[in-house]
Amino acid sequence: MVNVDALRGYAADLLEKGQVRAVIGYRRGTAGVLAQPCTIDEAGEAETLVWDPTCLNNLARYLVEDRQQQAAAQTRNKTPDGRPVAIVAKGCDSRAVAVLLQENYLKREDVVIIGVSCEGSGVIDPRKLAARPEGRWASRVDFAGADAFKVTVGGDETLIPARDLLADRCLECRAAAPALNDVLFGEVVTERGLDEPFRAVKAAQGATEDARWATWEHHFDRCLRCFACRAVCPMCYCPECVVDSTTFVNTPGTTAEEKATRIRWCERSASVSESALYHLTRAIHLAGRCIDCGECERVCPVNIPLRLLNTKLEMEAFEQFQYEAGRDFGQASLLSSFRDEDPNSFIR
Amino acid sequence: MEKILSKDRLREWVDALDDCEVLAPAFADSVWNYARVEAETVIDLSHTNTINPPKQFAFPQREVFFRFERADGVPRLTPTLPDPRPTVVIGVRPCDGRGMPRNDTVFSKEFKDPYYWARRERLVLVGLACNQPHSPNCVCQSVGGAPHAEEGLDVLMTDLGDRFHVKGITAKGGELIARGGDAFASLQAGDPAEVARVHAAASSHPQRPVAELGTVAEAIRARFDSPLWEEMARHCIGCGICTYLCPTCHCFDINDEVTNPNHGTGERVRTWDNCQFPDFTMHTSGHNPRGDLGSRLRQRVAHKFLYFVENHGTQQCTGCGRCISECPVGIDIVAVVDRVSRA
Repeated sequence: MVNVDALRGYAADLLEKGQVRAVIGYRRGTAGVLAQPCTIDEAGEAETLVWDPTCLNNLARYLVEDRQQQAAAQTRNKTPDGRPVAIVAKGCDSRAVAVLLQENYLKREDVVIIGVSCEGSGVIDPRKLAARPEGRWASRVDFAGADAFKVTVGGDETLIPARDLLADRCLECRAAAPALNDVLFGEVVTERGLDEPFRAVKAAQGATEDARWATWEHHFDRCLRCFACRAVCPMCYCPECVVDSTTFVNTPGTTAEEKATRIRWCERSASVSESALYHLTRAIHLAGRCIDCGECERVCPVNIPLRLLNTKLEMEAFEQFQYEAGRDFGQASLLSSFRDEDPNSFIR
Repeated sequence: MEKILSKDRLREWVDALDDCEVLAPAFADSVWNYARVEAETVIDLSHTNTINPPKQFAFPQREVFFRFERADGVPRLTPTLPDPRPTVVIGVRPCDGRGMPRNDTVFSKEFKDPYYWARRERLVLVGLACNQPHSPNCVCQSVGGAPHAEEGLDVLMTDLGDRFHVKGITAKGGELIARGGDAFASLQAGDPAEVARVHAAASSHPQRPVAELGTVAEAIRARFDSPLWEEMARHCIGCGICTYLCPTCHCFDINDEVTNPNHGTGERVRTWDNCQFPDFTMHTSGHNPRGDLGSRLRQRVAHKFLYFVENHGTQQCTGCGRCISECPVGIDIVAVVDRVSRA
């Protein structure tokens, strides 16, 4: 079991000794059952940290935010505080940190990884919880071993089988404890016995090409282009997103000519063609980089099964090249490396 | 006009509206949303609330203003004012109903927006009172509404078990009920008391208070430059969920979408815009007065509880709770307003 008090003590100690600038973790939210991300700057605040199956967010996304703020401070000729930032990381989150390290977005000495084990289980899918009678009114969800969650509604506690509430991404998870860490709370669990990896995408690709296109046309038609899937993704760190014109950088130095001739690959209209371009471009840009935290799918307000796009590419990477994003930050990246034993001999 | 509609005769009423586009909530892709009622559709009004509010039926996410082309070197514009069939939306929750008159105000006060009103004038909203809150984030009563509020609706239905109490609120609503003919029955002696009982029971569920509602506007004005905004937005990811799903957010962008640059062919379109996006208030100079997440959160909250009050005399938030329930990082407008009010 993760000892939450020990985790809080560790975070407080890091801050007290001035070894880190801040600790990014989870605290109780103000609305509903879910925990929410928090950034602790003072040792005294560490007691608000929590760890339970409602800690859904991949906090590596805030390392990206922090890095961008540090860079912005530098451009304003302010000397940024060079101490590292600590982050509470689940298995998937730590793989995201590994990719950021591999891509030299971060340096290893700039981050302290406080690993937490998912207790052989994982995090919940709030929609699965809300679909149950009274589930919307739950005030707490706790781990109850690997096979169940303890759900508190009012004064009543109910044990619900883990399988019934687990997020789909967790069912397919291959490493429910962070391999990359500076300290680990809880046990390393390797035997899981839930779904096999890539089960959902294997099932989805069994359909005919026409049926698959009809399905995705249906989903792209429903897309609101709120960009939550991209905004929540720790790998989507481009300051300008090629398929989102709202991010195009405009400075006092940008000329009228540049603004007028800038290519909009993707219009703002939320139509099937534009939304297909947006999602497929994003998926391709994540090939060999997606660590399947499933945050894109979780945050989608209209439930587009976005993981299928990303896990399809990761399955190809795994089956063709035995490549797993985030397995090791020292490994050569999928798209920038070549081995003699790689398939597709025509490349030579 | 008040009538009783047996649940097994709802379909009969809908079938009588055969010249209308009829939409009702449907549960698909694990989410409630409005869908067209087809011949084979089984209408299920057990919905919580739809993920999209009904604003899209007057203010769609994409509206074509006109088409343009160049013929023999001469630019030519073709108007594209919408000319929809009458559209009946069934099952609108009262919080969303209250959103519509707020949108109407925005699209008519200084300038009557012809595109909005071409759709709006043919839109009929058939509300369904909530017999219980759908989520802990339902706060309709805390912002001046009620689970059976009539404002903005043409018809209000109340679920009485095996039948609906159906009340025509506007002339448009009365006409719609009249078209149902024999599907409707008259009220029996005990019905008014039963409706009152159901409404009272629904109103008795406690809701989270929106702190000192009367003074929220003043508090936001006083704390305009407070560091609280930045702190509360620290984990905002800048997505568009809160405003796109809001029943009263109405900001839009206008772009020319060129389909063939050689022939100067394309469309001028209006699309939803969003105060949480980085280019929302971007000036051509590169200066952005809402250049960080804190000022964007303030923009959203102040629009609901300060600017709208100043401009139109009422709050813009109708308490549906979508922005709270769907926020990926737990930003909670009730808590935000509370903190600003107490600061």
